[in-house]
Amino acid sequence: MHMVTLTKGVPDFREGKVSFDEDGHLERGKTPTVMNPNDKIALRAALQTKVKHGGTVSLMSMGPPGYKEILEEGMSDIYADDLYLLSDREMGAADTWATAMTVATGLEKLDPDVDLIFAGFKTADGETGHTGPQTNWCIDINDEMEDRPLITHVISLEVDEENRKVRAKRLVEGDIEEIETIEADLPAFIVTDPEFEANYHRAEHRLRYKDLRTETQERAANLDYDEDVTVWNHEALNLDPDFIGLDGSPTIVAGVDPIPKGPSEREARMVTPNDDEGMEAVFEELKPYAAGD
Amino acid sequence: MVELDPTEHEIADLGPKVNQIDDVDELKEMLALEEDGEDRAPVKTLIESRIETLEEEDEEVDLSEADIGDMTIAELANAIRGVDDADLLRELIEQENTGKERSGAISQLESRIESIEGSGDGDGEELEYVPPEEKYPNLDHPTADKQYIEGVKGEHYRDMWVYCETQQNELIDVSKEMLGKARELMDDYNDKYGGDEDGNPEDVVAVIIGDDVADLAEEAIAYGADYVLYHEDDELERFRHKPYTEIFCHMCRDWDVEFRDYYEPRYTIFPATNNGRDLSALVQGELDSGLASDCSDLYIDEAMISNPAKTGKPGDSIEFDRVLHMPRPDFSGFEYSTILCIDKPFRDFHPQGASVIPGTFDLPEPDHEREGESIEHDIDLPDDWFHITVEEYDQLEGGVDLTGHDVIVCMGRGIDTRDPTEGIELGVELTDAFEDAGFGLTRGVITASYEFGGHVEQYVREERQIGESGQVVEPELYIAAGVSGAVQHKVGMDEAETIVAINTNPDADIRDFSDYFIEGDLYDVLPRLIDALEEGELGAVLAEASDD
Repeated sequence: MHMVTLTKGVPDFREGKVSFDEDGHLERGKTPTVMNPNDKIALRAALQTKVKHGGTVSLMSMGPPGYKEILEEGMSDIYADDLYLLSDREMGAADTWATAMTVATGLEKLDPDVDLIFAGFKTADGETGHTGPQTNWCIDINDEMEDRPLITHVISLEVDEENRKVRAKRLVEGDIEEIETIEADLPAFIVTDPEFEANYHRAEHRLRYKDLRTETQERAANLDYDEDVTVWNHEALNLDPDFIGLDGSPTIVAGVDPIPKGPSEREARMVTPNDDEGMEAVFEELKPYAAGD
Repeated sequence: MVELDPTEHEIADLGPKVNQIDDVDELKEMLALEEDGEDRAPVKTLIESRIETLEEEDEEVDLSEADIGDMTIAELANAIRGVDDADLLRELIEQENTGKERSGAISQLESRIESIEGSGDGDGEELEYVPPEEKYPNLDHPTADKQYIEGVKGEHYRDMWVYCETQQNELIDVSKEMLGKARELMDDYNDKYGGDEDGNPEDVVAVIIGDDVADLAEEAIAYGADYVLYHEDDELERFRHKPYTEIFCHMCRDWDVEFRDYYEPRYTIFPATNNGRDLSALVQGELDSGLASDCSDLYIDEAMISNPAKTGKPGDSIEFDRVLHMPRPDFSGFEYSTILCIDKPFRDFHPQGASVIPGTFDLPEPDHEREGESIEHDIDLPDDWFHITVEEYDQLEGGVDLTGHDVIVCMGRGIDTRDPTEGIELGVELTDAFEDAGFGLTRGVITASYEFGGHVEQYVREERQIGESGQVVEPELYIAAGVSGAVQHKVGMDEAETIVAINTNPDADIRDFSDYFIEGDLYDVLPRLIDALEEGELGAVLAEASDD
């Protein structure tokens, strides 16, 4: 079983990590880059499959050379057997379609017969949720690669290796929310929902999970960025620069505005914790709603 | 008469709308309307501050006298936007070089010079198409040969197509909201441009795919469609990516049908639901065009583009008209971006696509007198489009409903000054100390990659999110702990009767819409409030509070 998980580096939006300039714009340079949280969820789905069925988990990203650290983060925090980075100035500033095109070609070069491809839902920066589905569409219309069903918003997944099938539960939204159970043949393309949960009901799986986690952490700790990360540029992928990166992107970002601050509407009474009178006034507001005995 | 009568709107949805109005007189008229009406102070502040911003922008800065060192880069960028004197700009670069030497300022000035003078090579010359084989001889398999690149140019595009999602044989609300918005956009469009390039009015086209959906056509017309195209088949009862994408694309590109005498739609709009968003990505991909997801507004306007990827030459600026502008919150809710889908030399990017957040646009009143035409689409559906089997589906029970409680306790990213698991525990404990309270979270907590202990994971779910893309609550008492107060959060809670904020940063935005602001660490304050609620009285400060 060969699995590939796709990932991207994003600014670390956690409080205390993220930094803004005086105009309220994100300062990329001062904000650390981390693996997109939703992609870790996708990688957990790949790890769950490896624990139960064995095989290889490859981790692939597209981005600047610094993204080798993102791949290392995935290997160390979740799991990966081998790491691939599609990296080239020509690939920069791509929108989702130009990204999908590049990544699908990377997948084709890595292994046209890959059994399972995993992608996370939205990235924490672009937040489109498009790249996974569009990558599969590129595969679908690429003669070099076998077509595969696209299964999105997956919250649980089981693989039946013998019969080459996947069963998944997925979330449907709308005026009512539903959980669908679907079945499809391998190979398949899985986009995990943020609510995906891996499950390890059997003791032997839990043991194997532990072993694999130890092993991947050791591998990550001894990673040699030059030796252990395979890097492909647009020439290696035979991609025309006019069709990737900014030049190949249908969309552009015309303007980025900080979220406008709402006008002041209430005059807040300022209270410090050791201002007894103030705290008492706050408590008076809370008291009428206290739980009874 | 003003386009936007403030007295007919809640403050929450006025904010973004007012900030798009550029006409000071219109704003003043709106201000007068509000004063004659409810005379709501926050609404007036909102309009007044917009007027102030516009008047500041209008003040001509005389750059030959100015000391640009006093200006922020953004102010400088605004001030030079209308400057066509390259020598003056060069002087300013000189001034900056001997002054603050901000690289951002210099690059703003340089790019303005470039857009006035052009890059110098090949000015005014027609771009010449160079086949990829010649342009990149080192590549042996030019990408243009891949099937998914259409590479069409100068085709004919018309109309706004709206994908109407259904559930249980009903149009879902967002489908009606989109039809209403599309109607409004295309009415304005036809007024402004006098219809398409040949002067014929453009239409709103609704697309409905499913089982037994023909009956919905009438409703779609009542909500604003001119044409309804539907495809019904019992195989299509449940959404599946492949057949839905193929059918949509066939309808709008390959179908030989009388009403569509054009190549592809000009615009396509989809709901930003799980399935709608997927479909939008696949359809736009297949049509070799682009899109923006989860838009919070849409408008059609001109766009001046100087991006060389679109103009073909660095330094050129080209005005594109009839461009769908697609503003959307991104960067985990920290910024708004406006996305445009723009043709490039030798390659069209149409339709311009968008998905919109459910609830963004008002649910219109249906007009059952409206006339429209419904057309059935019928093609054979090959078996291999159905390689996914839906075995069963269950409706989820309600989820968490935070509306209707007396009290809401909401936790923000401030929980990460310690183990966030502990923060969730405290929030839940405080919630339990009230008779009737709900527990909510900001979007930030949900999108952050915190590692939570297993016992609190059930509380950290999107279904507890309060704000623009979550639930809107109006409790008697709202307690916001460690919440900074982003505007998207604000619209979800600012109708609460009393708002108590707990935050270590006294300058946090939430102060502006709180009644009480406890400047302190939630990890100190919450336990004290919990004890007080349980004991019935407020105890003394437990530990010596620090001074910092």
